[in-house]
Amino acid sequence: MLDISIGDDGNVRLRGRLDAVQAEKQAAAFDAFTGSTVLDCKELDYISSAGLGLLFGTHKRLSTQGGGLRLINLKPHIRELFAIAHFDSIFQID
Amino acid sequence: MERERAFTKEIASLDHVFNFLDEFFTLETIDKRDSLAIQLVVEELFTNLVKYNTTSTTPVVVGLEREGKIVNLELVDRDVDRFDPATLPEFDVDAPMTPRQQSGLGLHLVRAIVDKITFEYAERVMRIHVVKKLESNHA
Repeated sequence: MLDISIGDDGNVRLRGRLDAVQAEKQAAAFDAFTGSTVLDCKELDYISSAGLGLLFGTHKRLSTQGGGLRLINLKPHIRELFAIAHFDSIFQID
Repeated sequence: MERERAFTKEIASLDHVFNFLDEFFTLETIDKRDSLAIQLVVEELFTNLVKYNTTSTTPVVVGLEREGKIVNLELVDRDVDRFDPATLPEFDVDAPMTPRQQSGLGLHLVRAIVDKITFEYAERVMRIHVVKKLESNHA
């Protein structure tokens, strides 16, 4: 299960798991992101290649419009996956 | 394998696969860090079978067993044409941002996480065997 909400700070908060099933279910929500979007991943527990692909596709779309995704508060094991995929050189991660 | 279960060959089965894995993690007292890594490995391999071994709708069998600080994992896909993962495009970590960059990412992650992976094909049966050392201080 993946919950997507907007925090008081305007950041998009991801909570739960971004696996292949959730990536498919939540694709429309990610399609709605515009401009520069901050994803707060403090409560994101799990991500697979399908989830990474969804983030990648969204970032690519936003980048062509002058925006992009910025990821904050990644858990260590998820940050490790970004490093293995070399996605840490594509996304701004704080 | 000590624990085995068959799953319908579709992405929607993943929730059931994860439930099966959770039962194993509880039984074997495997901690969160290791369990997340094993979940990722199983998801990537299972979804690859769903995506690339499309000639059969026979359920995929997932098997697990623990031997001390090692988890052996096996996925068996029956009545399928030969599927050689080596023919899949290698994931290019340095490629520019194009859709092709995503191709092969799942297997790239799996190979980085596991200690050993073998693919066997005989008599129309594909067997993927994985060895994963547990990283935490399990008893």
